[in-house]
Amino acid sequence: MGREVGIVGVGQTNHARRRTDVSQAGLVREAVDRALADARLSMDDIDTVVIASGPVLFAAVNQPEKWVVDAIGAQGKSVVRLTSGGGAGFAGALAGYYQVAGGYSDRTLVVAYDKLSEGQLQYSISTLYDPFWGREFAVGIMGFSAAYWRARMDVLGHTEEAAAMVAAKNRNNALANPYAHQKKAVTVEDVLKSKPLCWPIKLLDVPPISDGAAAIVLANDKVAHHSTSRPAWIRGIAYCCEADNAAERSLLLSEPLAIASRQVYRAAGITNPRRQFDVVEVQEPYSCFELNYYESLGLCPPGQAAELVASGATQLDGDIPVNPSGGCMGANPIGAVGVIRLIEAATQIMGRNETHQIKDAKMALVQSGGGWANLRGCAVLSA
Amino acid sequence: MLYAPDTSPIDLPTFHSVISLPYTLTPGRCAGTFLAEMPNRRIVGSRFADGSVVCPAQDFSSLDGEEPEALVQAPETGTLTGFTRVGTDVIGLIRLDGCANEFPHRILADLPAIAVGMRVAARWSDDDKGTSILAIEGFVPAPDAPQGEVKPLVGPAEPLGVIPYAMALNYEHAYGPYYGRMFDEIREGGRVMGVRGSGGDDALLPPREIDDITHKRTGTWKACADTGTIRACSIINMEVYGQTRPVPYVYAEIVLDGASTRMIHMIDIDDLESAKKSIKPGTRVRAIWTKGERKGAVSDIERFEVIDA
Repeated sequence: MGREVGIVGVGQTNHARRRTDVSQAGLVREAVDRALADARLSMDDIDTVVIASGPVLFAAVNQPEKWVVDAIGAQGKSVVRLTSGGGAGFAGALAGYYQVAGGYSDRTLVVAYDKLSEGQLQYSISTLYDPFWGREFAVGIMGFSAAYWRARMDVLGHTEEAAAMVAAKNRNNALANPYAHQKKAVTVEDVLKSKPLCWPIKLLDVPPISDGAAAIVLANDKVAHHSTSRPAWIRGIAYCCEADNAAERSLLLSEPLAIASRQVYRAAGITNPRRQFDVVEVQEPYSCFELNYYESLGLCPPGQAAELVASGATQLDGDIPVNPSGGCMGANPIGAVGVIRLIEAATQIMGRNETHQIKDAKMALVQSGGGWANLRGCAVLSA
Repeated sequence: MLYAPDTSPIDLPTFHSVISLPYTLTPGRCAGTFLAEMPNRRIVGSRFADGSVVCPAQDFSSLDGEEPEALVQAPETGTLTGFTRVGTDVIGLIRLDGCANEFPHRILADLPAIAVGMRVAARWSDDDKGTSILAIEGFVPAPDAPQGEVKPLVGPAEPLGVIPYAMALNYEHAYGPYYGRMFDEIREGGRVMGVRGSGGDDALLPPREIDDITHKRTGTWKACADTGTIRACSIINMEVYGQTRPVPYVYAEIVLDGASTRMIHMIDIDDLESAKKSIKPGTRVRAIWTKGERKGAVSDIERFEVIDA
């Protein structure tokens, strides 16, 4: 096997609806400066760099890594740019993990970002659709997600109220997050009464549109101690994919997530996720997604997600807190979110989460992905 | 069941598609100041710790990523370091006096009169006094121009926070034999045809060469009904850029009778509340074709409507 890989430094921007004071590259620089300072390193100590962001159409700059490299002082290093829709940041972390685990790099910087205020979000996402077959009717990812949430309601009982509980939980958790920009206390009732955008998705089921960047430094077990005495070790990480319009694809469950979690749990020795994890961070582009993750990650059996959220188990004081950071509801710079979730889980393990530290957190689960169900990954972090 | 023989289209037109969208880009502090100073007819550069000056102004050094010490006013004169003809224009690389880099701009001279190493000077536009680098119309030969000097930038303008931008990308997609046949059938016959999966009678829509599940060749062509069942649906009640119909309406993923995969289409509704009850997964629907000549696209089906029980 390869080397052990730990997260030894983290940094994210103070996310905002619109940052008019920095360019895309300047935004990335802020997160990188913070992560390097946190890891007590300079760019000279970094062997390789992975830059991840959403589709080019989000912000109209092709090959943005060329711009970013200058802004972060990574000239002359091995740089890979990676994009994978909503899971871009997580896919970037996976690429960085492979480099360090494989022994090709001692330290890899992974930085992910999106500056969504600059473009047309849902229209850009609609261009993911087949230009012959469906694009002319597409309503970004929201129309599609709402449609299959509606289908899950009938089969899995993912009710509007259950999703509203997720939205309220995450929004209220985000109030204490210093990096979040959408901070307003809401009740389940507020969510249910908010304006339908793509019903059943309503305004308060939807995260904000954000400008933001996030960076992590990955290091192997030889050099990690130079940065911290408490790295968050990556015990398993995977990111899986499935075809879009195959005959047997129901879209009711996320098969890629089930496959990824099976792989990762095996690698990390997880046999009972509900009992073994102290904290979970998931990427919930809309509140209804989190219900599916409970099931596909094995926190509860399929069909019991509504019951799980209603029980309070995923609240801050529950036995399996999910998104103590507030998740995407506090800020949602899409390409960066996979790395933000890793940061929020890593700092839990390091004992220094700035939003809500879960007491004695030793084992954390991270989920991220893109699309409604077809690109999904997860990772296990531990002390 | 009526089997149809395999046929292929004779001519091979392409499918024209345009992705067109507006942006609001943020240039950052230094480039934002450069642009904001264009109406003041001052050319702004960045001076870095080693004394080097880069123009137009940049937030970060391309050598080491360091931020500049100060913004400066660059001279309007410089040297041509390279050029090429683009259409009727000549585009040159200009190194302003005292600067460490080149940037591209128009050279306003006839090609034979242009040479690498020649002295040039900025000519400000009479028409464009906006916050764009095109406020400089171009650079003209200036053989006797004295060496310009980089000066401190006195009272810089507030940097521009947002620049409007727009992009329209034109594509010509190849249909290929499967999509070509399907759209021919839609246009000529007003019917939606798919191909059977490798192992059953249900058709894959859109048709394809290889079955996604078995990875074997797909079977023969088959016409699907223009009735079907909703697999998933949502009620669109928000306006987004690029939308072609007024809200609210239903976005539906429909499996046509005889098919195994979905197609995306729309259902008109009167109001949101009644649609929540009347349109759901399992609801039966029928395609309503457009009147008149069909163009060979999914939009030849104007909409779907609910089949009353």
